[in-house]
Amino acid sequence: MTVLGLALPVTFTGQQLPVTSRSRHSLVVKCSSERQILFNRIAPVYDNLNDLLSLGQHRIWKNMAVSWSGAKTGDHVLDLCCGSGDLSFLLSEKVGFNGKVMGLDFSSEQLAVASSRQNLRDRSCYKCIEWIEGDALDLPFDDCKFDAITMGYGLRNVVDRDRAMREMYRVLKPGSRVSILDFNKSNQPMTRFMQEWMIDNVVVPVASFYSLAKEYEYLKYSINGYLTGQELEALALEAGFSSARHYEISGGFMGNLVAVR
Amino acid sequence: MVRFSRVLLKDAGLAIDKTLSEILVCPLSKQPLRFCEKTKSLVSDTIGVSFPINDGIPCLVPKDGKILEEESNASKD
Repeated sequence: MTVLGLALPVTFTGQQLPVTSRSRHSLVVKCSSERQILFNRIAPVYDNLNDLLSLGQHRIWKNMAVSWSGAKTGDHVLDLCCGSGDLSFLLSEKVGFNGKVMGLDFSSEQLAVASSRQNLRDRSCYKCIEWIEGDALDLPFDDCKFDAITMGYGLRNVVDRDRAMREMYRVLKPGSRVSILDFNKSNQPMTRFMQEWMIDNVVVPVASFYSLAKEYEYLKYSINGYLTGQELEALALEAGFSSARHYEISGGFMGNLVAVR
Repeated sequence: MVRFSRVLLKDAGLAIDKTLSEILVCPLSKQPLRFCEKTKSLVSDTIGVSFPINDGIPCLVPKDGKILEEESNASKD
């Protein structure tokens, strides 16, 4: 996933979905199929919109996320909710042709874009990337397989964050890190105000040019429904990680959770 | 019965990497997968479900798995 991911407590038509269970951290609603449809739909313009709306800054944030993951030459790494592959490509540059990158996403359209980008780019390290259509809540990997995991703008969108964290913990090698980049749900009122202002007055109008205004209107509510940095740290510790630290970046608009198994 | 192998998959024209084949397991049972030559899919014998491979990309979303019918057991190599 990249910058403009969404978590939808309601359907696209505005109808509220039934809440099936309530966790300590968040409401769990069954709308992963609709999210899958959403990300399939916006796949063709995702990359361009991210560049436009972040003025290219998303590249900086993603480089930071990869650095925090600790990925190095020869590693086997996993990029969850990989979308069109931004983080996967950065990871492949770190691990090199002797390493391996698994890019997993539940959107076949996003993976098709990622695969096309891989074929178009002429770099040998990109050949180490494998794309997998899968669910972050039921990972198709055995225990303790990966030297690092990244997740960009994905944790806010999964329907069960506890389960996603536990799956990440399960497939990580002991001592390895997960690096999770997403919007920051700030405790500072001014930061929250500016985030919402940007979404209302920049993101949604720009998205409307791509006929995706409805999808991006939910971004504000999605961030409100997400977890604060402290709550994310607690979530990671509850999943079994030995340590967790949430870093605010870009003036508090974005955040990156780093947890060690 | 056919086990995952690089030679087999390359023969099948799917070009799934050997490392990938060694890492992937059934998303539900977490048990090893078997490649079915006839259906060109990944089979989890533990739970009797097959997962498709589309354009070289394994599709291992649990809800997209198909329950194996009894008659398809006869077509396994």
